[in-house]
Amino acid sequence: MRMICLAVCALALSGCATGNKGLYDWGGYDAMLYGAYKDPTTVAANMQKLEAHIHALELGKQKVPPGLYADLGTLELQAGDKEKAQANFRKERELWPESASLMDALINNGAMPKAKEAKS
Amino acid sequence: MRAFASKAAALSAMAAALLLTGCASHPIAKQDLSAFNAAKPRSILVVPAVNKSLDVDAPNYLLTTLTVPLAERGYYVFPVHTAKTVLEQEGFYDGDQVQKQPPEALARLFGADAVLFVTINRWDAQYAVLATTVTVDFDYRLVSKDGTELWKANKKMAYSPQNQNTGSPLGNLIAAAVSAALERAKPNYMPLAQSANLQVLTMEPTAIPTGPYARVN
Repeated sequence: MRMICLAVCALALSGCATGNKGLYDWGGYDAMLYGAYKDPTTVAANMQKLEAHIHALELGKQKVPPGLYADLGTLELQAGDKEKAQANFRKERELWPESASLMDALINNGAMPKAKEAKS
Repeated sequence: MRAFASKAAALSAMAAALLLTGCASHPIAKQDLSAFNAAKPRSILVVPAVNKSLDVDAPNYLLTTLTVPLAERGYYVFPVHTAKTVLEQEGFYDGDQVQKQPPEALARLFGADAVLFVTINRWDAQYAVLATTVTVDFDYRLVSKDGTELWKANKKMAYSPQNQNTGSPLGNLIAAAVSAALERAKPNYMPLAQSANLQVLTMEPTAIPTGPYARVN
């Protein structure tokens, strides 16, 4: 009797934790952004971590999760490295077609877009 | 023997009830997702949150916790740091200003199918002598690029660090005091914010449908 109850209870408890393996390997992207926001002196270090993670994914032929190329690009742009930034915006655009209009604006402006429509 | 059998039947009925209720901790009816299913968004723009808490850093921190659960649900999520920077370029430095913009205009600016607005109602720690309770409370609202509301939900979560059992009453008291002092110095909201987002997006009654990149089972 006790055994049955234990087994059922265990099943009930595990119910919520769907053992889904994730779609992507984030490599701590959220923690890197958090670190950069929490302590702005760590932006450069966190940017390098993000770059290293993306590089590792590329080497392992794994899909880079949405937004990583672009956020790395923005950090590079903010650090003054326009060329590296543009290369990453292009990669984001190629991998994720949904990003096309934003990436085009970023690539063509060489800086952040100035959209008139949003002001209306 | 009869008594045993009926007891067993009662127990298994209880167990079955437990199984069925499993994840549904709120007696809230499942929401109407017909607008969501009709809109079929592929991409979601997460904009900086409106902050009603007293912690000025909360919106930035929260911003870092939404990409992973949304993308793992199968959506393209616009790069949150890039989006925030673009919005700042437009002169929108906080969530209040951003969320006063028509969702259609925000979606158009980024080429997004839907925009996620979050309001932080609570992001705080309440200090008691021996324990600290950390609480987060968020309102979520997903709006399509044509202005239709697709989904809304609220999630509140609280956490009190477990007191360790050291085996002696004095030891327990000291352990509790130490843990309260640590939480006081630096309450960690991130795990709480992450689980709030994950639960609200993936568990009934609030779960959103899976997006185009979700793994087909």
